[in-house]
Amino acid sequence: MHGFANPARFLRIARWLTPLLLLCGIAVTAGALALGLLTFPPEWIQKDAVYIILVHVPPAWLGMAGWMAIAVASLVELVWRHPLAGIAARAAALPGAVFTAICLITGSLWGRPTWGAWWVWDLRLTSMLLLLFLYFGYMALAGAAQRDGGSGRVAAIFGMLGAINIPIIHYSVIWLNLQHQRPSLSMGNSAIDTVYLWPLLGAMVGFSLIFGGVVLLRMRAILADQQANARLRRKAMAGVGAGAAS
Amino acid sequence: MAAIKPKHQRLVLALIALAAILAAGALATWALRNQASYFYVPSEIVANPPDLDRAVRLGGMVEMGSIEMEADGVTIRFVVGDGTARVPVRFKGLAPSLFVEGSGVVAEGKLAKDGTFIADNLLARHDENYVPRELQDMTEHQKDAVISETVGAK
Amino acid sequence: MREIIDPLPFVIAAYAIGIGGTAAMIVWSWILMRRAEMRREKSREL
Repeated sequence: MHGFANPARFLRIARWLTPLLLLCGIAVTAGALALGLLTFPPEWIQKDAVYIILVHVPPAWLGMAGWMAIAVASLVELVWRHPLAGIAARAAALPGAVFTAICLITGSLWGRPTWGAWWVWDLRLTSMLLLLFLYFGYMALAGAAQRDGGSGRVAAIFGMLGAINIPIIHYSVIWLNLQHQRPSLSMGNSAIDTVYLWPLLGAMVGFSLIFGGVVLLRMRAILADQQANARLRRKAMAGVGAGAAS
Repeated sequence: MAAIKPKHQRLVLALIALAAILAAGALATWALRNQASYFYVPSEIVANPPDLDRAVRLGGMVEMGSIEMEADGVTIRFVVGDGTARVPVRFKGLAPSLFVEGSGVVAEGKLAKDGTFIADNLLARHDENYVPRELQDMTEHQKDAVISETVGAK
Repeated sequence: MREIIDPLPFVIAAYAIGIGGTAAMIVWSWILMRRAEMRREKSREL
């Protein structure tokens, strides 16, 4: 059964890849944040508040990327029935939700001293808040399916449908005039001065590595739980069978 | 009983999921109808002014040298421009700390008969450009380029 | 009248949330993983 061969190979790789991703991620993130704190000059208008960019933009990117990972893994799970895909989708939910929450909180802490408001109901902020609620919904669905042994199909469909929100988040600031500014980083060009750019890119790489490491940690936890449960169930069955025979 | 309960639970969850998807759709519709039509840049407010009693948002750049304090000490007058049109704004209250000339602003309020925008809430708006202060002080010229680029990109 | 805000407390709070939240997530996920893998080892011995 390929369903058992694959997780075994996955575990062999994950065992060394997990600490590697986490340690590299922590080192790169710490380095990028330290570099930013040491070298950032005050921005011409927002002054020291510009530091917040390093703990706002990378979590925002990972909150969105996390849902795209759920959507793609859910598609693979539904179409190809790859057993690891469903596990990967479920493992990405918590880090995605945590980073979305961090993005919302640090954004609020950035908005108060700069815009003059903790929160504004513009489309960018509202759709990001919706993303957090979508994560909660997904985790509830996936958790329920796991508890009563149902299939993860409902959660997978939810994960794919919820991806509609991602282009809304991304294009809201491009298509509409909102309180939130347009993206500063896009393919091939940047509206950010290079002194701010390099620490930001470093923090994005670092947080992404941490995200990958946490997804692997949670995949291993889900796999171990499944294997333990399966083994205990088999033993219980064998026990019942032996009892009936004697 | 134990067999029925998880089924009910799944039904409730599926309904919650459906509600979340519907909320996303409603949000997109609301955004397209409300946000696009409630946010004006100066050239739009001049060309196609909103009804006088309708609360709208005016966003643009605070013109250089336009901020003035009225005699009462709490009312601020300034001009919001977008490179083609200018709208005078009056605001009574505490402006955010990033409210400075040459930077972005979003004013919430209504248009008065004389063409002045009466703001009852003022928010600073940062654009996508991040410029160190030193660089800013050195080249006034570059900032003009950045501002015209930002406004022109609309 | 313009509001005068020192952004530093906001910066400190944002870093505390960003770093603290990330660290808590790593530690918690690590503990869950260790606990699950230990339970699997125990189920093998039973």
